[in-house]
Amino acid sequence: MKASNMTNKILPTLPMLVYIVLWAPVIILILFSFSSNRFGIKWESFTLQWYFDIIGNVAVRDALIRSLTIASITIVVATIAGAIAAYGLYKYKFRGRGALRTTILLPMVMPSVVTGGALLVFFSRAIHIPLGFAAITIAHITFCTPLAMFVVLGRMARIDWSLEEASADLGADRLTTWRKITIPVLLPAMIASAALIFPWSFDDFIITYFVAGVGTTTLPIYIFSQLRFGATPVINTIGTILVVLPIIGVLLMHFLQKKEIA
Amino acid sequence: MENREGIPCVELRNVVKRFPGVTAVDHVSLKVEQGRIFSLLGPSGCGKTTTLRLVAGFETLDEGDVLIDNKVVNDIPAHKRNCSTVFQTLALFPHMTVEENIGYGLERKGVAKDKIKKEVGEVLELMQLGGMEKRRPSQISGGQRQRVALARSLVLGPKILLLDKPLASLDRKLRKEMQTEIKQIQREVGITFLYVTHDQKEALTISDTIAVMANGRLEQVGTPNEIYETPRTRFIADFMGASNIFLGKVIATSSSQEVQLETEDGLKIIAIKNKGIPSEEITGISVHPELIDILPEGTDLEGDNKFRGKIIEMNYQGDFTETRICLNQVDRFITAHLSNEPGQNARFSLDERVLLCWSRHSSKILIG
Repeated sequence: MKASNMTNKILPTLPMLVYIVLWAPVIILILFSFSSNRFGIKWESFTLQWYFDIIGNVAVRDALIRSLTIASITIVVATIAGAIAAYGLYKYKFRGRGALRTTILLPMVMPSVVTGGALLVFFSRAIHIPLGFAAITIAHITFCTPLAMFVVLGRMARIDWSLEEASADLGADRLTTWRKITIPVLLPAMIASAALIFPWSFDDFIITYFVAGVGTTTLPIYIFSQLRFGATPVINTIGTILVVLPIIGVLLMHFLQKKEIA
Repeated sequence: MENREGIPCVELRNVVKRFPGVTAVDHVSLKVEQGRIFSLLGPSGCGKTTTLRLVAGFETLDEGDVLIDNKVVNDIPAHKRNCSTVFQTLALFPHMTVEENIGYGLERKGVAKDKIKKEVGEVLELMQLGGMEKRRPSQISGGQRQRVALARSLVLGPKILLLDKPLASLDRKLRKEMQTEIKQIQREVGITFLYVTHDQKEALTISDTIAVMANGRLEQVGTPNEIYETPRTRFIADFMGASNIFLGKVIATSSSQEVQLETEDGLKIIAIKNKGIPSEEITGISVHPELIDILPEGTDLEGDNKFRGKIIEMNYQGDFTETRICLNQVDRFITAHLSNEPGQNARFSLDERVLLCWSRHSSKILIG
């Protein structure tokens, strides 16, 4: 009895500890973003000055817009390409299908420096795409498409494929079946993959750094470049925004889902 | 038996379908009469579903012809064939309402919106699904889903409705209800039903004609009555319900089509054979458990087939008790059903020695 009492106390404490370790740096970052200390490294007094500063900061705004644009294009292209590839891989039997399926995740586990270096050589020496916006976008699509394929394939394994046959049986041709049945049924998986791709693309630093060239600054690259001037409050404020916005998003989605069920 | 001349609605001629390593359908020829319920019955893997899918157009055949309404449809794709399928999983579109599901086929045909609404409304009423129009398949009960699947197919007015084990996922009680309902609906709409099932009872309940399949071949085609009471092969006898099967050879024939068989272990059994069957082809007989009488050991009576034995197992089943008896003469078990009707005077208990007896008419000839 005593032992189980102990366990009952220790077990809930452990996850708490893990959460504290995970969140402590983030909480400190958020706190310091409101601190008037000029280097953003200790608490002095409350201020919103740094937030007003970045609103007026053209470099931050440009980098943010660039990152969001790249992420948006990546989400659309990678999700669609991934879904189509997954469909082909799932539905059609051909030589090497098994090998392809098992190696989908390979590009994702490859060290980013390798991917980045390879893309740099590929773009500059093989197909002559100028480094910068286009190169970054293509690079992001390259490493995000396998993720979309993986997510959509996972969903496909749990779909009742007689839905497609039923549609054909009721008089629909292939295209109509795709439009009316297959895509709507796969849509949740495509949305999920888009939700996963967004942060991947948005905060990728290593690969982007390789193919960015000069003058194309994404938000992560901008933050990194600011480190030359020491940890400035700008990093704290951007960090806070990037942490808080997704949390609001997640909470909002949770709330909406609950509402739909009720 | 009812054997009126019907026009074949679906016909298979020497149909063969091979999958890598297996012949799923092996030279099957059959005719499905207009306006009837025709069942394909067999254990899983016997080729019944593949046969159905060949008719629907989901599989391409390797040899032979499939005819719907006297026209060869071998090369016509599924979405252009005049038949509709109710799937085992039902395959209701999860992202559409009941109404949208049922209207899907009409929409594909290009029927006008208001006409779709009217026809969907009619079929909803026929299926007693009023009030469910705006629900999703996940928000209605199993029986209702079943009816939506039927409605979705029937609303198109197909020449033939193909049903692939549609009741397999329902519980026993609901399944019985739906069997009756399907029969009623069929009578009401008059469309030919081709029904695939592995459940013997279900096939007996629902069908006008049953075709029993095994290993891709047709074993026997007949009315439920014929299939149950005069199974032609050992496989069917076994499949149709734990019949007692005796393999043996004919040793004596009398003029009145009465034959005497000797089984491999030396039992002599008297049976009646049909006119057409030569004695050499007979490979054994089967007897249904409910046709065997169990009597106290001392009973003295005239009878065709009499054997003594000991009761070794009794399983209460409600209206009867399934009783296994070990014969004295040879090491063989016979299953008989002991009626539990009130007023049945002879009561037996485990280990009791009894007399088994059945008429020559209860012994059914097997030829394969």
